[in-house]
Amino acid sequence: MGAILRVDSLCKDFSGLEVLYRISVNIDEGERHAIIGPNGSGKTTLFNIITGHYKPSRGAIYFFDRDITGWPPHKIARLGLSRSFQIINVFPKMTVYENVRNAMVSKFNRRVNWVTLLNRDKEIERESERIIGLLSLTEARDVPASELSYGMQRHLEMALTMARAPTLVMLDEPTAGLNSEETRDAVRLIRQLTEGKTLLMVEHDMEVVFNLADRITVLSYGRVLVTGTVDEIKNNEEVKKVYLGRR
Amino acid sequence: MKRVWATRLAWGSLMLILFLLPFFLSETKVDLATEVLIYALFAIGFNLLFGYVGQLPFGFAALFGVGAYSTALIINHFPGTPLLLVLLLAALASFVAACFIGFFCLRLSGAYFALTTLAFQMFLFAVALKWRTLTNGDDGMGVIRPELYLPTLGGISLRSTGNMYYFTLIIVAMGILGCYLFLKTPLGNSFVCVRENETRASFLGYNVFLIKLIGFSAAGVLAGLAGGLFVLFQEFVATTCMDLNMGMVPVLMTIIGGPNQFFGPVLGAAFYVVFQDWVSSLTLYWMFIMGGIFIVTVLYLKEGLVGLLRPRRI
Repeated sequence: MGAILRVDSLCKDFSGLEVLYRISVNIDEGERHAIIGPNGSGKTTLFNIITGHYKPSRGAIYFFDRDITGWPPHKIARLGLSRSFQIINVFPKMTVYENVRNAMVSKFNRRVNWVTLLNRDKEIERESERIIGLLSLTEARDVPASELSYGMQRHLEMALTMARAPTLVMLDEPTAGLNSEETRDAVRLIRQLTEGKTLLMVEHDMEVVFNLADRITVLSYGRVLVTGTVDEIKNNEEVKKVYLGRR
Repeated sequence: MKRVWATRLAWGSLMLILFLLPFFLSETKVDLATEVLIYALFAIGFNLLFGYVGQLPFGFAALFGVGAYSTALIINHFPGTPLLLVLLLAALASFVAACFIGFFCLRLSGAYFALTTLAFQMFLFAVALKWRTLTNGDDGMGVIRPELYLPTLGGISLRSTGNMYYFTLIIVAMGILGCYLFLKTPLGNSFVCVRENETRASFLGYNVFLIKLIGFSAAGVLAGLAGGLFVLFQEFVATTCMDLNMGMVPVLMTIIGGPNQFFGPVLGAAFYVVFQDWVSSLTLYWMFIMGGIFIVTVLYLKEGLVGLLRPRRI
């Protein structure tokens, strides 16, 4: 299987501060790929550049061999690349149902439709209910997002990410702030939801990473240290040095 | 089910009262009611942008002014143009102006957006003031209300207070109903998405800039229509229809009425016009009092006057 996402010697500097330097990563179709690295190694910045939130200083990004470098987020999202956020990023004043419906309106390209009434749209209603059921949010359907528990908000964040049925799912620390039991649930959920899709995730919890990922890329100070399978990374001397320091 | 009927009954009686108004009010009061209706449409347009898209323009009267001047110029230079077509063209002119102004201003947000819209308004104000050969400057232009031709009914004169009131009532009611339904479409929902969380909306595939621009131009249509009606009502247009004061009028109406409810601005407009009419007959310093009310509303009545009627937000 070919590469679904190709990042080609990507550089990013914020007014002189070099955050990413010549990052090259290939994400193969169908794989679960994790990006790990110590704090400040540029993981989230890389995410933000791939999804169009920042523009890269140099380098290029190809999604299905299409050059998407510098595209705005909404165009990238419409290609089938969907992301979640490290810090919960939903529509806080809207209910769970309304949140998911917002994603559905976009999925069915009704964003600027002004000739039909939204609450008469059975297709959108059905699909929204399906996603809500899938993420076990049914009981919280009519609760405003800001009043949900943190764990439920994480579920909603996942729901918004998965609602557009993306081909490439990008999760930014999906288990941040969850306790060990919730984390186990989250791993199961991610595994289930990304079945048959491609997953790119940033994660700090090594157990989660080793559990989910097929391949891992290690970043350190904005450079790619190594890319490899779980076993290769586990036994790599350089990675040990970065994570554990010199002994 | 009971509630639905109660709401329908309330709307029905309100429409009936509005319809019967000319029968038990004096002519001056009917004129006042006409003014309320026009401002209500203006404020509803403003709140489409402020309350739903989440953008606060200080220069919204620019679009009111474009509608007003277009109406006056068309009537004076092309007499015989059907009245409804005149209003349609006025709305179209405001729509185009809103697209243009929005295209530049919506790249900014917050205070920068508010002030750049004001800059455009002041620019148009200056044009209207200085281009004397076209607009007659601050002396303004008189306009004679043309007759309204309807297919089966023939010509209807709008010279009488009552007829002008009914004409305004129908146009405004259609405008407000149109806006109400417009906001219930997926596009209306997109406005709220953009207001609530721009970042999330864009990562879900919403083109935030485009949606804001559509919101701005739709609001422009309503403002232009209101401006056109205003000229027909006053039979006169001058630079005051887009001066600094006029820029603040919809802001005051909306905040006082309540921006979180669709009909808040209508209540605000009614309050503003009636209160102004009453207080300005007592004192020259009515703006001082209006300002005081505005401050009190902002500080203690976040939901505006509708908040008093209905304590909980739906």
